[in-house]
Amino acid sequence: MENKQLRQHVEELASRVNGEVEESLGALILKVKAPYIVETLTGAKSFPDAPCDFLHDLCGLDLVDHLEVVYQLSSLRGPQCLRVKAIVERENPVIDSVTRIWQGANFLEREAYDMFGIKFKGHPNLKRIYMWDDFEGYPLRKDYVTEPIEERNIMRQRIDGE
Amino acid sequence: MTIEKTQELVLNMGPQHPSMHGVFRMVVHLEGETVTKIEPKLGYLHRGMEKLAESRTYSQFIPYTDRLDYLASPHNNWAYVQTVEKLMGVEIPERAEYLRVIFGELARIASHQVMIASTALDMAGWSAWSYAFRDRERILDMYEMTAGSRLTVNIMRIGGLSAEPPAEFWPALKSFLDDTPEMLEEYYGIFLGNEIAQGRLKNIGILSKELAENLSITGPVLRASGVNFDVRKAEPYSIYDRFDFNVPVRTGCDSFDRTMIRMDEIVESIKIIKQAIRDIPEGPIMAKVPKVIKPPVGEVYHRVENPKGELGFYIVSDGTTKPSRVRIRPGTFINIQMLPIVALGWKIQDVVAIFATLDAVLGEVDK
Repeated sequence: MENKQLRQHVEELASRVNGEVEESLGALILKVKAPYIVETLTGAKSFPDAPCDFLHDLCGLDLVDHLEVVYQLSSLRGPQCLRVKAIVERENPVIDSVTRIWQGANFLEREAYDMFGIKFKGHPNLKRIYMWDDFEGYPLRKDYVTEPIEERNIMRQRIDGE
Repeated sequence: MTIEKTQELVLNMGPQHPSMHGVFRMVVHLEGETVTKIEPKLGYLHRGMEKLAESRTYSQFIPYTDRLDYLASPHNNWAYVQTVEKLMGVEIPERAEYLRVIFGELARIASHQVMIASTALDMAGWSAWSYAFRDRERILDMYEMTAGSRLTVNIMRIGGLSAEPPAEFWPALKSFLDDTPEMLEEYYGIFLGNEIAQGRLKNIGILSKELAENLSITGPVLRASGVNFDVRKAEPYSIYDRFDFNVPVRTGCDSFDRTMIRMDEIVESIKIIKQAIRDIPEGPIMAKVPKVIKPPVGEVYHRVENPKGELGFYIVSDGTTKPSRVRIRPGTFINIQMLPIVALGWKIQDVVAIFATLDAVLGEVDK
């Protein structure tokens, strides 16, 4: 859907937060650096006339040289939708939590932490959600090795008395 | 002997507790019978669907989506293949669209029947459970005629459908639709109209409109909190803009309305199926799609209205035959966040009912 007004708002917001506006298959994408994320999302939440105030989804993305956090925004009262992407460094993946803006981000951020190792600063309970607490590695990263079970059984060291 | 103060009791509910729908555990802190804190624990079933998707081709991933929300598998297939079709820009034949709507809405009815049945069962209503499951069998029979399987129905393909329903499908569908008014009356009579059920559901577990929006809740749970939002109306996908139906909204925000809204939705689904049977054209059910699916570089987020809430697929393609990333946004996984907030301060037996009205399917929560 073509929404000129929304595009204008997004471009204004992009210039405020040093972001880039892209378009892919009809959807508007706003790419920003991690430190600007809270400002960007609060801005998007309060666009006049076309607020993107409902968080549909939040997920991690591994692009080999860096990680990204993808936020899918839309509204319950209009057709506008916007995708915000925050670029996070691979070595030190830290980004501000958005649980203060949307409580619904709670589980989603825990999932992104569990799968990609992205640390959300200010999250009330940042623990692994799917894997057990002392699980090593982040399964959805591209460099995570998934070896066959036969191979793993050979490789695994046996503990005495096991 | 006198007890001066009740001690706090920490109780594990699930994963084997009969009222837990699948492998889900919650740690309930109790003061007497009153709940003071709930911690949901997930992860027993985690199968790593998103990781698996990266090592499968686009078509090979379709059967995996059956196992997400296994009580409404055609709907999950549909959401996935539509996302790939959107990414590739494939137009599918008219007849396939209508058949997809019929199967999708049948899945919605079957899923809501399970919800009504299991809510009744959690309150020890065995008869209501068996009535709803008896009626659901008829939908499963229709799946079996067409796809050969009853639970993981896998008939959607990228570009259309794999099979045309056989001749005996249409009379079976018609007789099912004819019996639905009586069926709903029966559910109401034996379960929801019952004084005990009403006493245990009404005004319990209030999820306010503001909280529901803030928690990103979608689907029937959101609509029972008075928000008129349905992806089928807000962002019509497939051919939903051609049908005349209403979006049921209730403003009670309690467990009772969360159950009743499913009854209302069954009525609307029946309306849609009737219109689809009336308008369905003749023709092919499969578009011309290349044998090797190779979408162009790009990314797409597509969402559909599932019986459990909004199901979204976010697919990133790098131009090869395998997706670079498949992100599944399940409805129940996000809806379950309301449980620790809404159930606070209620009695332990109310928690069982509140959890039942969420209609959680753990295949979708743990992916």
